[in-house]
Amino acid sequence: MVPFALSLLVLLPLVGAAIVLLIPKGQKSDSLIKWFAVVWSVIPLLLASYLWFVLFDPNASKMQFEEAYLWISSINVRYHVGVDGLSMPLVWLTTLLTVLGLFYSSYVIHERAREFFFMFLLLETGMIGVFVSLDFFLFYVFWELGLVPMYFLIAIWGHAEDRPQYSAIKFFLYTLVGSVLMLLAIIAMYINTSTATTPGTFDLIELATKRPFANDFVFASLAFWGIFLAFAIKVPLFPFHTWLPDAHTAAPTAGSVILAGILLKLGTYGFVRVLVPIFPQVFQANVLPIAILATISIVYGALVAMAQTDFKRLIAYSSVNHMGYVILGVAAAVAIGGANLTDRAIALNGAMLQMFNHGVITGALFFIVGILYERAHTRDLKSFGGLGAKTPVYGAILLTASFASLGLPGLAGFISEFMVFRGAFATLPLIATICVLGIVFGAAMMLWKVIQNVLLGVFDEKRWAEQEKHGVKLYDMTRFEVITLAPLLFLMVLIGVYPSVILNTLNTISVAILGQIVK
Amino acid sequence: MSTDLVLTYVGFFMMGAIALIGAVLAVSQRNILRAALGLIVSFIGVAGIYFVLEAEFVGVVQILIYVGAITILILFAIMLTRGLMQGTTSGHNSQWLAAALLAMLLFAALALVALGTNWNVAATRVSSDLIPKIGAELMTTYVLPFEAVSLLLLAALVGAIVIARE
Amino acid sequence: MSLSVPDLNLRIIAPVLIVAISALVVLLGELVTSSAQKRGLGYASLVGLLAAGGAAMGLWDAHAVAFREMVRADNFGVFLTLTILAGAVLCILLSFDFTRAHRIETGEYYALILFSVTGMLLMVTAADLIIIFLALELLSLPLYILAAFKREDERSLEAGLKYFLLGAFSSAFFLYGIALVYGATGTTNLARIAASAPSEMLLIGAGLLLVGFAFKVALVPFHWWTPDVYEGAPTTITAFMSVAVKAAAFGAFLRAFLVALPALAMDWRVVLAIIAVLTMTLGNVAALLQANIKRMLAYSSIAHAGYILIALVAMGGAGVSAALFYLLAYTLTNLGAFGAVIALGEGERERLNVSDYGGLARMQPLLAAMLTVFMLSLAGFPPFAGFVGKFLIFGAAVQNGWAWLAVVGVLNSLVSVYFYLRPVVAMYMSEPVEGWGAPRVAPLVALALVLALIGVIALGVFPAPAIALAAGGLGR
Repeated sequence: MVPFALSLLVLLPLVGAAIVLLIPKGQKSDSLIKWFAVVWSVIPLLLASYLWFVLFDPNASKMQFEEAYLWISSINVRYHVGVDGLSMPLVWLTTLLTVLGLFYSSYVIHERAREFFFMFLLLETGMIGVFVSLDFFLFYVFWELGLVPMYFLIAIWGHAEDRPQYSAIKFFLYTLVGSVLMLLAIIAMYINTSTATTPGTFDLIELATKRPFANDFVFASLAFWGIFLAFAIKVPLFPFHTWLPDAHTAAPTAGSVILAGILLKLGTYGFVRVLVPIFPQVFQANVLPIAILATISIVYGALVAMAQTDFKRLIAYSSVNHMGYVILGVAAAVAIGGANLTDRAIALNGAMLQMFNHGVITGALFFIVGILYERAHTRDLKSFGGLGAKTPVYGAILLTASFASLGLPGLAGFISEFMVFRGAFATLPLIATICVLGIVFGAAMMLWKVIQNVLLGVFDEKRWAEQEKHGVKLYDMTRFEVITLAPLLFLMVLIGVYPSVILNTLNTISVAILGQIVK
Repeated sequence: MSTDLVLTYVGFFMMGAIALIGAVLAVSQRNILRAALGLIVSFIGVAGIYFVLEAEFVGVVQILIYVGAITILILFAIMLTRGLMQGTTSGHNSQWLAAALLAMLLFAALALVALGTNWNVAATRVSSDLIPKIGAELMTTYVLPFEAVSLLLLAALVGAIVIARE
Repeated sequence: MSLSVPDLNLRIIAPVLIVAISALVVLLGELVTSSAQKRGLGYASLVGLLAAGGAAMGLWDAHAVAFREMVRADNFGVFLTLTILAGAVLCILLSFDFTRAHRIETGEYYALILFSVTGMLLMVTAADLIIIFLALELLSLPLYILAAFKREDERSLEAGLKYFLLGAFSSAFFLYGIALVYGATGTTNLARIAASAPSEMLLIGAGLLLVGFAFKVALVPFHWWTPDVYEGAPTTITAFMSVAVKAAAFGAFLRAFLVALPALAMDWRVVLAIIAVLTMTLGNVAALLQANIKRMLAYSSIAHAGYILIALVAMGGAGVSAALFYLLAYTLTNLGAFGAVIALGEGERERLNVSDYGGLARMQPLLAAMLTVFMLSLAGFPPFAGFVGKFLIFGAAVQNGWAWLAVVGVLNSLVSVYFYLRPVVAMYMSEPVEGWGAPRVAPLVALALVLALIGVIALGVFPAPAIALAAGGLGR
């Protein structure tokens, strides 16, 4: 047993960030900072791995490694943390992607390294904090805490030609609009659960049993939609997605990876952790509109992605498509109807697995785009071609990640998408049918736009020879880039062929959550 | 209506008229010296109202301080300041209409409420030995405000010196 | 004739007395010190303020009235006393080098600040409208002078004059209000006003009192003086005014309306709610348009007055404690922000334009980080004091049935994020501006900044003790 395991997990990056600030200035301070930050970030990964693979009980539906202390007594705010099958994989993924992001950045970030690594570690604290918080107040604090460093990462280290400051503030304000409404809903729930003698609660577990506004559908709906908006913007669900392509395009590679890999998951995580257990009735009453938004995200996201000529924007829009499956899965799991618990659990499992997979796959794809951009200084898909022969390692990795993304059986993406559809056909058959279109378009966009444009075709020797005079050189992946991507590729294959490693954990908690709300 | 009351009314309206005429003079005259003289008239009118209302002490103080001290100071200031004597400054600016309207509104509201209120009239007449009583009150009930005022005056004095010092 | 001596409980006004005596000492010290020794007067002021703080702590839980119910020592007053003293201490710490650089280092500077603090402390312990009025004058008068303290600077003079004229105007309103309240109830004592029957005259009187308070805390539409005065006054004085006057005036405002006029709450709550909406919205929207950081902070202070007004509208224990906590949080945060502006000055030049902050993150990373924290706290970001303050205020509003007001407040704080981020954006993402060297921060200024920073973070991360102290202290 590790005492204060989760608190350690939250605090370690923060401490690391503080140490980064304290490293003395000097000629070698940048390399020292990079070296330190990467090594330090491995500690949370090791701790999270130890917690998940050794101590975590995948068959227990209750919270594990719980800690609870009174924090602000007068309003009954507690420092309450804990993980279950829903959050444990995401916490682990956060620590993994942070290590990879920092490792990759240590090679490509040359300006203002101290601030970059400080912000990155601060961001990790915010993200882990959200996943382990079981008190809504605490959740909100971490939620906002992650916002500021991400803003800086995009605005300062973004690509100058992609209007980083504009994109960053857009990302910031969009998220903030949602979160302030969530704040009001949090206050309302607290006051609704308080009585004349006892204070209200911010505790997510207690709220799930107390169900604030259970008898007042109007107020419950207001609170629901307030929180919904915060999460939907983060996911992002159509029509709240417009910040995403800008933010992704502008962000530095590691920032994009974290944004796609983890920050988007905060939204879907919130759906499952907050909206489903606390407002099951309202959610059920609104399943159709939510599922329709998910459908639009899926189909529209894939179509718009297909229309892109910018590699990074394409991947960004594909996120809209993929995150749509998660929402579809959640909606399918709680939809009213005669479906049995197993079908619903499959849908929810699929949604949760899709979160994890999308983090792995899209994280990898953003690395891949970033690596190409580092060399070519362009992301215009039309300017490439024939890279499969010219840079075989890069080609192989891109091929694998693309196939995982479009849902080729044997790779991770297939499992989760299949499960989402398997569940959705049971509860929302019509919608699920339409969403299959998204799969088709998604496959088309990857095969036609990415693989054909980049890997196949003829390598334009003349053009790139010309470019070489300007210091642009297309060479195959170097060792550190392969090292960065290797763990993600391994995960894609592992989950693709042996999904039970993670599904058991997820299933326990799906059944527990759905058992609470579906009679 | 007793003669006493009639006289009170007559006195009140006379004094009120003097105060108003003075006030109008003070704001309408373009020459600042005349405006200051108008102010004196207005102060005297107000003092007169106090006398009519049998608040002799306040009346005397009003004349001593406002007429005797403050206006004289103002006159000194005007005479010692170059340019102000001859200068005719405009008493109007572009916002006078809006200001007048607002002032009228406020006046209407106050007048309506004042007329509609059932005032608490003291049952007994104020005794004649008013000044010792006021003195005693200042030293007992109002001792703290009294001291606060002294501090306030000190601060004002310091401030005046700071502003005026070369 | 025999006089019945009132209860001269000096202990209750000990903090006020100590500060007043320090003011006199500093004033006398001015006579016997050379121009090189003026710093000593600043230290003397600090000692006086800290001693007053000690005396104020001794009044915790005293719950007493004195001087024929002219003053009242309750925890509400003690909390605000300590808040004001904290603001004054930080202001004086910031002043040492600022006054020297701007050639306004005199004993009167410190003495006038102390006189103003005397008025403020009296104001938050006052239980009678007469005392409130006199305290209001005592706190304002030195500030009129201080605003104009840089006499060779025309904008400073204009600030002082403008502040004086409008302040005198608002005092007249306030005094008229007192007269009408007295006419309606026959008393100026807050508790006895509450005991008498409400009438139209009382309502009009309350309205005029409201105008007086609204001027002092800068509520729309009585806020016009604020940007000009804040811009023109010496920055240390602006910093002081923006926090301490607010704390003092809101203290009396809350006390007058919650203790004396709860019977009229039906009427004034709606009016104040509307004013709160206007104040927040106008403050934030106007702040968006400012390029000058002092003007921006001026409009932001207007907006913050609007947030605090929400707490007054909410009423009840939750509203009062939220307002108190917010005032404390705002005091530390705003002084920190102004402190950073002061620290970044070079001699008599100050970085007044947002664009002057370009590239500071590289030249002064620590200072840039501090200013970022203060800006985020002002914007209401966790885990800083400003967030908890806003949370408590909006919580109080929702709890007492003013959810729509909380919604407006929340949307407003959203707007505010944009302009609070602008200096941050400049510091971290713009190139350094020509003509500015790397700033050198004086040790005492650094001390003030660190103290403010510690306060902002401590109140944000461990707010429980302060919330407990702010709760339920308003004596009736």
